Amino acid sequence: MASRPECACGDTSALAGGKRRIIFPCAGTANVGLISNVAALQLALEGYGVATCIALLGSGDPGLKKRIAEADEVVLIDGCPMTCGAKIANAQGVTPAQHIVITGLGIDKVYEKNFTEDEVELVVSAAWEGRGRPGETHAR
Amino acid sequence: MKIEVLGTGCMKCKRLFKNVEIAVKELGITAEIVKVDDISEIINRGVMLTPALAVDGEMKVSGRVADVKELKEILKG
Repeated sequence: MASRPECACGDTSALAGGKRRIIFPCAGTANVGLISNVAALQLALEGYGVATCIALLGSGDPGLKKRIAEADEVVLIDGCPMTCGAKIANAQGVTPAQHIVITGLGIDKVYEKNFTEDEVELVVSAAWEGRGRPGETHAR
Repeated sequence: MKIEVLGTGCMKCKRLFKNVEIAVKELGITAEIVKVDDISEIINRGVMLTPALAVDGEMKVSGRVADVKELKEILKG
């Protein structure tokens, strides 16, 4: 009798040729920065990758650099066109395979703490769709 | 073209299904997109890791969520 198929939820995608990813949110304090944090955590919950603190990357932590070297992809979620996350990554010699800028998805940057589940979902789905890959468009 | 997304309804299955819908729309092709969530049928199809993707009966992806760019390449053949 055939065995029951295993669901690839969790971090089993690498078993099937999927990517081992590290996700960095910019973690800003405007709404889009807050969204970047929640979206990164949601992506981690969905088994997309491991959410990691951008400040740790900025510190040049050697343990994190080793993890990045062992990963297949780095995914960077910036809140706005200042792209602070991308600048930190660049300063540390890290090139993201996917770079999502939340304002590019149509979410305005405001200095408020309020955001919606739909806004978070927009960012999460953009990562799954690969909208932040070079040559891909944020708009759909 | 018949595109099947095989999986028991987990979040990754839903993500793959949505990506397929986007890829079909962006390619401008006509395709029947079907969810296969019956565990017996998934087993009978030989899928060991879900979500999986079959195009016209041929298994193309198993155990991961292909992004839209990859799906467009698969669907273009």
